[in-house]
Amino acid sequence: MGSLTQVTIDFDTSHLVFPIIIGTVLGLLGLAILIRDRASIAAAPGYWRHIWQEMDKVRFFGTIVLTLAYFGAMVPVGNIWPNTGMGFLICSVPYVFAVGVLYLHDRRPRNLWPIALLAVIAPPLSWWLFSYVFFLALP
Amino acid sequence: MFEFITPLFCLLIVAGTFAGIVFGAIPGLTATMAVAVCLPLTYPLGLENGLALLLGLYVGGISGGLVPAILLGIPGTPSSITTTFDGFPMATAGEGEKALRIGIVSSLVGGLVSLAILFLFAPTLADFAIEFSYVEKFLIIFFALTVMAALSKDLLLGIFSGMLGIFISLIGQYDINNGGNGHIRLVPDGWDYYLDTGFSLLPVLIGLFGLTAILEQAEIGVPKGHSREDLKVGSESTFSFGIFRNQIGNLMRSSCIGTFVGILPGVGGSAASLLAYSNAKSFSRHPETFGKGEPAGIVASEAGNNGLTGGALVPLLSLGIPGDSTTAILIGAFTLQGIQVGPLFIGNNPDTWSAMIVAMLIANIAMFLLMYLAIRHLALVVTVPKHILFPVILMMCVVGAYTINYGIIFDVWTLLIFGLFGWLAVKLRLEVAPFIIGFILGPSAEIYFVKSLESFGDVSIFFTKSWIACVLWLLIIASLAGSLYFSRRAKSETAGE
Repeated sequence: MGSLTQVTIDFDTSHLVFPIIIGTVLGLLGLAILIRDRASIAAAPGYWRHIWQEMDKVRFFGTIVLTLAYFGAMVPVGNIWPNTGMGFLICSVPYVFAVGVLYLHDRRPRNLWPIALLAVIAPPLSWWLFSYVFFLALP
Repeated sequence: MFEFITPLFCLLIVAGTFAGIVFGAIPGLTATMAVAVCLPLTYPLGLENGLALLLGLYVGGISGGLVPAILLGIPGTPSSITTTFDGFPMATAGEGEKALRIGIVSSLVGGLVSLAILFLFAPTLADFAIEFSYVEKFLIIFFALTVMAALSKDLLLGIFSGMLGIFISLIGQYDINNGGNGHIRLVPDGWDYYLDTGFSLLPVLIGLFGLTAILEQAEIGVPKGHSREDLKVGSESTFSFGIFRNQIGNLMRSSCIGTFVGILPGVGGSAASLLAYSNAKSFSRHPETFGKGEPAGIVASEAGNNGLTGGALVPLLSLGIPGDSTTAILIGAFTLQGIQVGPLFIGNNPDTWSAMIVAMLIANIAMFLLMYLAIRHLALVVTVPKHILFPVILMMCVVGAYTINYGIIFDVWTLLIFGLFGWLAVKLRLEVAPFIIGFILGPSAEIYFVKSLESFGDVSIFFTKSWIACVLWLLIIASLAGSLYFSRRAKSETAGE
């Protein structure tokens, strides 16, 4: 019985022991879920169709696209003025404005002013606070 | 001994509590999000001052949820769901202000009772845990994960989520500083540069609790804010402390339930308030009045969810295991300052420990004063439009993720990856809390497991090392068996109906 429970771990491959165990357990759990929930998994296309129909696609995908563009632009813009946090500052202004407008329900010009004001004040304030008061690096 | 109590320390607690109340009061924002978003602010503040801010946010965030729960019937945070049951009917009947004051006093009592338990219990548990070897430490983590999974909505999905969290935490190097061999695993070709040390904890947390919440709101069209006219504060206050004369038992019981639920790893405030509420209903002489504007329901719910605050810090500060998602983020604050939480924390950092207790005490008092004295004005935060708040929160998420490791842009992408993952996980019915706890504890679990086997060379050591190991196994089996029993009973009750 003793030999059945004995294990030797080779130090060189010890980094794989735990991931293999967890991976195996995950696989078994995944299989158990697949078997138990086979009916609801079979009905998944309907579930996702419902989510798609109910979703506010403009706001949801708009958020993702704007965020992708924001993250993607920050470093190239920041590289023009290295180590100044300008990438963050310059990209945050249009991002805050665009997301604010995206989430606004009534987009009449008078309702855009508070968002424009926010976009002009909030990013420079954070940039100043983190760069010059807290001495933290920004992109 | 109390040199840390400076005007700045007190100011940060009050400011944190106020900001937390604002976050908690706005449906869709949570205490966890508040702590995650404000984490980078703690960088230059030092540990004690940083914790003062974060603990204020935590207490304020949990308490603020009662405002929309009572005035609008919409829980500001998940932990105030049960407050809506009786709070909103009272508000509809013109007793909004009275209901708010009942909730605020109950929150204070819940917070103070749990703080007392934290103060008395955490050092004892830590002293006990110092003796633990790698075997017991691994079993403690295993126990934490099973408790979390057992209290999930779905046991199987709960365990799967926890295991997925562990698996993702193993990406990158097998930490050489903790005795690993330094080899990289689970990293796709070409990603070594980015994932050498795996995904950073804080961008993952900020993504899961910041971006995910906003994506969920975007998915439903970012509902319009509420106007002043929607708020049912009531014309005149009829509140008096005499209301609590018959509620002392309920208050203490609910506070203790909340604290106990907080001590269980990964279990959120909604479980605390639900359990406290259902207990109050069971013990009541008039259970039929619950759900129709019964003050005892608000007392139970708010004492229960605020009881969580101190309770959730017990396993964090004594074992290094977060009690809920917000305390999981507090680990980040300690990491930022280079301090590891665990059994040695209280003994090695008596000043920080005292600072945390004092900060929690001041935060609870500040919460009470801010909310009790200015409740009519504070209720207006519910009307702050989301198109103003969300862009700033998103921007702050970026600041938090980028600054956490002194400027790594991949951390910003990590925030996006896990924000999207969090949204998808909710749709797939995966449980975020077990995932997070698994992600946080995964690397430690690996070290304890592998080192135990390297040292003893026998799997049976996990069962035979000590009596503590045996007790832990019994607890693990009991938590899983209990969960199976309750889920089957719930199913048969549903089928019976």
